[in-house]
Amino acid sequence: MAEVAYDSASRIYTGNPPVRAVDQLNLDVADGEFLVLVGPSGSGKSTALRMLAGLEDVDEGAIKIGGKDVTNVPPKGRDIAMVFQSYALYPHMTVAENMGFALKLRGTPKQEIKDKVAEAAKMLDLTKYLDRKPKALSGGQRQRVAMGRAIVREPSVFLMDEPLSNLDAKLRVETRANIAALQQRLGTTTIYVTHDQVEAMTMGHRVAVLKDGLLQQCASPRELYDRPANAFVAGFIGSPAMNLKTVPITAEGAQLDGLTVPLSRASLDKVGGLTEVTFGVRPESLKLAGADEQGMELTVELVEELGADAYVYGSVRIGGTPERFIVRVDGRTPPAFGQTVKVALRDAGEIHLFHPESGARLEA
Amino acid sequence: MNHRRLPFVAGFLLVPIVLYAMYVVSPFVQTVFYSFTDWGGFSSEQNFLGLGNYAALLGDEVFQKAVLHNAFLLVLMPLTTILIALFLAFLLNVGGRSDSAGVRGVRGSGTYKVVLFFPQVLSVAIVVVLFQSVFRTDGLGLLNATLIKLGLVDAARPVQWFSNPDLVLWCLLFVMVWSGVGFYMVLFSAAMRSIPREVYEAALLDGAGRAPTFFRITLPLLRDTVSVAWVYLGFIALDGFALVTGLTPESGGGGPNHASELISNVLYRTAFSQGKFGYACAMGVALAVFSLLLAVVQLRVTRRERIEY
Repeated sequence: MAEVAYDSASRIYTGNPPVRAVDQLNLDVADGEFLVLVGPSGSGKSTALRMLAGLEDVDEGAIKIGGKDVTNVPPKGRDIAMVFQSYALYPHMTVAENMGFALKLRGTPKQEIKDKVAEAAKMLDLTKYLDRKPKALSGGQRQRVAMGRAIVREPSVFLMDEPLSNLDAKLRVETRANIAALQQRLGTTTIYVTHDQVEAMTMGHRVAVLKDGLLQQCASPRELYDRPANAFVAGFIGSPAMNLKTVPITAEGAQLDGLTVPLSRASLDKVGGLTEVTFGVRPESLKLAGADEQGMELTVELVEELGADAYVYGSVRIGGTPERFIVRVDGRTPPAFGQTVKVALRDAGEIHLFHPESGARLEA
Repeated sequence: MNHRRLPFVAGFLLVPIVLYAMYVVSPFVQTVFYSFTDWGGFSSEQNFLGLGNYAALLGDEVFQKAVLHNAFLLVLMPLTTILIALFLAFLLNVGGRSDSAGVRGVRGSGTYKVVLFFPQVLSVAIVVVLFQSVFRTDGLGLLNATLIKLGLVDAARPVQWFSNPDLVLWCLLFVMVWSGVGFYMVLFSAAMRSIPREVYEAALLDGAGRAPTFFRITLPLLRDTVSVAWVYLGFIALDGFALVTGLTPESGGGGPNHASELISNVLYRTAFSQGKFGYACAMGVALAVFSLLLAVVQLRVTRRERIEY
């Protein structure tokens, strides 16, 4: 068990200009915590993980595991285990040999290896397959073997690099829950990389959002959802994405077409002299308004029915240009295609304001 | 297959099959046939001897010497070449920088790869000319001159390399290995590259250093390639005709006192110098049987499940 710390760690790929794949990353992961690194492709999340594993150089700053500086320690000296996206099982070894390989290299007695492998196999429901080679296993089973290989070693930190991306949707949801439960049970510090924000939200104790090598925000899933630190996080977390529009602002509030959203005193202070803000509202914070209520005129372009809910995609004219909005409505009474409906806020408090240029959160 | 397609396909197959039968199969059959006769090669007269030629082979000292020499090369040449090629390929692909991050070859591995491949582009004739100067038996050859400069060899008695019956086979072995290593290094490099990088990284994280990585991961995964290389090199070791003829032309291409005699050289001389084609054909058949046995044994021994990533 150990805590992990990135201390202004950077990875710079030489080139012209040099690329800062991970830029001055500062991150503290507590002992036993499940931290998820999430971000779009090329955000540096995998690189950050590989730096921790010792598979990438740390060009600036330092990385600590259990309080010990491991920046220049080779991978095998770091006491970490990693689950790769491709699983990276040893194709010429059986499942049992795969799982026991690290222990064998350490010179652990045969019986002890056998016991530990058997125990992990039981935990992962792999007992039947111990004598098989990886090629005779399904994707889900291979994934579990990769997990088993990590567990058997009893490392101080687990690293997982998109371990579920090669599974089909149903198995992914199932395995997601299993991994979270397993981590809970073992209590091992875990760093998990994914590009899937649903995985990030459901699995992590805390989630760190990266973009272009820069840490955007690191917070609990709830905090991330309710108080995104900037417009990028606001748009990235949540599905479907938050409606983010640049709107004019006056003393009365934010001016959407036919709808004035009054702002609190504190918010107005924050907005200061700006004439425009990036206004964000989640699809579930919007509702269909009655004919006599104030609301934006939305022309329905697409209705996605999900059973319980339906998402209405439509355009609203803001300052003369059509802007797309997504509204969550009751699944049983969705508006029809082409219809024009009035949309209003469910609660004036459920809005997010960001600086139109920097994207930084404006509210207190 | 329906009836219209059959003649169509057969039409295409007919020509290659006829050509193959004419130019590949029939010479084999003829060789086997002549090996049972005393055909001299330049007349149509021949007497059927049955297994007489084969019986004679068993008592032929020069031929037996040649078989032993081929056996010597067959054991040592593939082994040495493969070991050196594997070692180099490992260094060039995954052997670099165990101290820090990642899996990569030693610095400048691209250049080494090209340089080490050079011998492969040289034809045997050029290799012969090259090594004639390297192994010159007076004090001016590259090796002798160097050894004399270093004081390891008396200038008055330079090493007789190819002219020394005890050294000649070792020198030939050296030349064969030298000219083969580059190609097999490239072959093994390609095979190593087809092993996913993550497998090496996983091994690294599991605590495997260079040696365990090589012996427990790389080598088992290269097994198929190594076994094929072994068969190819075995064939080269069973041949060696051009090299021996060029480098040790004494006694008609058999080295000093038949010391570098190989089956193919004896065969050639028997047929074209001594005009005993029937007897030479028997040698050829024997060589072909050896080659087939080698391939069967080698592929049997190393056969197992295919590896998939």
